[in-house]
Amino acid sequence: MNEWKRQHPAAIFISFLSNLKQMIITLIAVFIFGQSSQAASPIFYLLFFAAILLFSVGNGFISWWKFHYFLKEDELQIKQGLIFRKNRFIRKDRIQSIDINAKLIQRMFGLVEVRIETAGGGSEPEFRIVALKKQEALAIKKHLLTKYERPTVHATELDEDEGFLAEQGETNSTLNPLNDELKADTANDSVNAEGIEEVEFDEEDTPPDFEWALGSKRLIIAALTSSGVGIAATFIAAIVSQAPQFLPEWLFDQLIGWFIHSSILVLGGMLVSILFAAWLFTLIGTILKYGYFTLTKRENDIHISRGVLEQRQLTLNAKRITAVRIVQTPIRQMFNYVSIYVESAGGGTKEEDLSTILTPLCKRKEIQGILDEIVPEFSFIPEYEGLPKESLRRYMIKLIVPSLIIAGVATYFIPYGWIAFLLPALGGGLGYIQYRSAGISQVEDFLCIKSRVIAKTEVFLPKRRIQDVESSQNVLQKLDNLYTIHVAVLTSMVGKTFSLRHISGEQIERGYLWYSYEQRLREQTKKTSADHEES
Amino acid sequence: MRPKPDQPLAEKTLKVWKIVTALSSILLVIFPAAYWGARFIFALPVWPLFVIIAIILLLAFINIFIIQKLQWSRWRYKIYENEIELMYGVFVVRRVIIPMIRVQHVDTKQGPILRHYDLATVTVSTAATTHEIPGLTLENADSLRDHIAQLAREADPDE
Repeated sequence: MNEWKRQHPAAIFISFLSNLKQMIITLIAVFIFGQSSQAASPIFYLLFFAAILLFSVGNGFISWWKFHYFLKEDELQIKQGLIFRKNRFIRKDRIQSIDINAKLIQRMFGLVEVRIETAGGGSEPEFRIVALKKQEALAIKKHLLTKYERPTVHATELDEDEGFLAEQGETNSTLNPLNDELKADTANDSVNAEGIEEVEFDEEDTPPDFEWALGSKRLIIAALTSSGVGIAATFIAAIVSQAPQFLPEWLFDQLIGWFIHSSILVLGGMLVSILFAAWLFTLIGTILKYGYFTLTKRENDIHISRGVLEQRQLTLNAKRITAVRIVQTPIRQMFNYVSIYVESAGGGTKEEDLSTILTPLCKRKEIQGILDEIVPEFSFIPEYEGLPKESLRRYMIKLIVPSLIIAGVATYFIPYGWIAFLLPALGGGLGYIQYRSAGISQVEDFLCIKSRVIAKTEVFLPKRRIQDVESSQNVLQKLDNLYTIHVAVLTSMVGKTFSLRHISGEQIERGYLWYSYEQRLREQTKKTSADHEES
Repeated sequence: MRPKPDQPLAEKTLKVWKIVTALSSILLVIFPAAYWGARFIFALPVWPLFVIIAIILLLAFINIFIIQKLQWSRWRYKIYENEIELMYGVFVVRRVIIPMIRVQHVDTKQGPILRHYDLATVTVSTAATTHEIPGLTLENADSLRDHIAQLAREADPDE
């Protein structure tokens, strides 16, 4: 394996498609502008389109032709580019994790994509080789994860890496039949499948420390409850279809007349069908996204593998987890289901708001068990302290005032607009629920905050991961001596701030005291507050 | 109660803020100008033009002479051995605690106006956030930067 290698030629096609995807936007713009100007003939567009296609193919070819990788003893070297050449050396000891993904397009060719995540920032913390045979990818992974022989390396680290590999093999085989097929193929025609053999050997040798799978029943439940909009849509659809039976005839006739008159029926019908379609999409989307979801842990590596069409794998280091988030949408709250997210420095995907989903759906009482195995330091049940009663009006007014304005405007301009006066009532109710859901607690070295916008969110933040603590107080909060607390942690490459609105002066003081690293100041603060209580 | 930070910004900073605010207030001219322009197209009365000008002048005046002054006088910071504390804001009062062990780097920077008055801004960055102490005298800013850098280096990462 000691020579410069190219990717599988299918990389041309893959890069062509991704190029094309970007160019479609340009194309649309060109066509829109093109229609307004009458000078250009259709031939021009045909040529233009052909040129773009040709360029994409050419570009794909060049990027394949000029992409070389070379697996050296202690690093992976990559040369790419025709005009702008880029050389990239990825050192073994800088590699955070290596994931092997099979997206739809790769699966068409029976290939995989290797994603290498490196430590430290830089503009490109991750690197992808988009088209490789599975055995080659596994060989690379194995090679890169076997520590370069140096006297300082501990034996345990080696074990860990081995475990890591085994995990790779196992999740694939247990997870999905399609992948099994793929593996069988490669095994059949493999000549020097040394990597695979060892992987399979390891697989039997070390079972994961912990394994959790989202079963198909849970998957369906997760999909059904995935989106508030979706639920609302089904609800509306059900009501609309049932309503005529329950209405008195005269009212029904009158309503129909009114509907036809204002053509609201048409609009409503459209709205319902749109919402229904949206619900269907989220349903299917969730199933495709979280199908075959498994979570395994080996030593410090948390491994997540999911997806039906696009198989995604993600490896996180348990030591780099900066916060745990437990989210519960109202509909899931009814059935006592929650989802667990983790914030991690490194890892994390964009589509999940830069955090990683650890468990798409589980019962509330299972949280403890899962966290115990995956991130034991986060496994505790905090007892939250509610907010002072002064903050109730802040929560309610915040929602009532804007909805009152909307209702006022609606009443003035729209017939039957007064119905909008339901909004302030709903807003007030939501405000009350938000107030009831909010809470704060310090459990030893963890700050826990609980809040709700619509979904209830609990966040556990370890002190040593908190980058800074900020309090803010606006003019209205000042009247009631209330504060908002903001806590920043690192997630992926950027910071993320968690806030809790309207906590009491006493609670913020306790927050300062808990967070402060200034020992002298802490003692002083304690003393003065004790004095304060005495007097 | 945690004691409030007590170090103020440099006095000349207020002057710089007033100048900056005055300069940015010039942009407000766009509103009367837009109305003036609109009068060529639509039949609009003249008097709102003067009302707009009066409102803008008043707002600019309040912003320059009252809000900036309040902003300046409310700004406090304090450097402890193990943390930095900032407190500032007029309508929203913010109070920030940055532990030394979380400080990743600390810079000073100057814009043209700050430079003219021999002032500088100290920027403190953590892995997730960035905070500024705007407007200290140059020597104060430099020594503060070095001091924070020193403390951050010494801070015990095991804490």
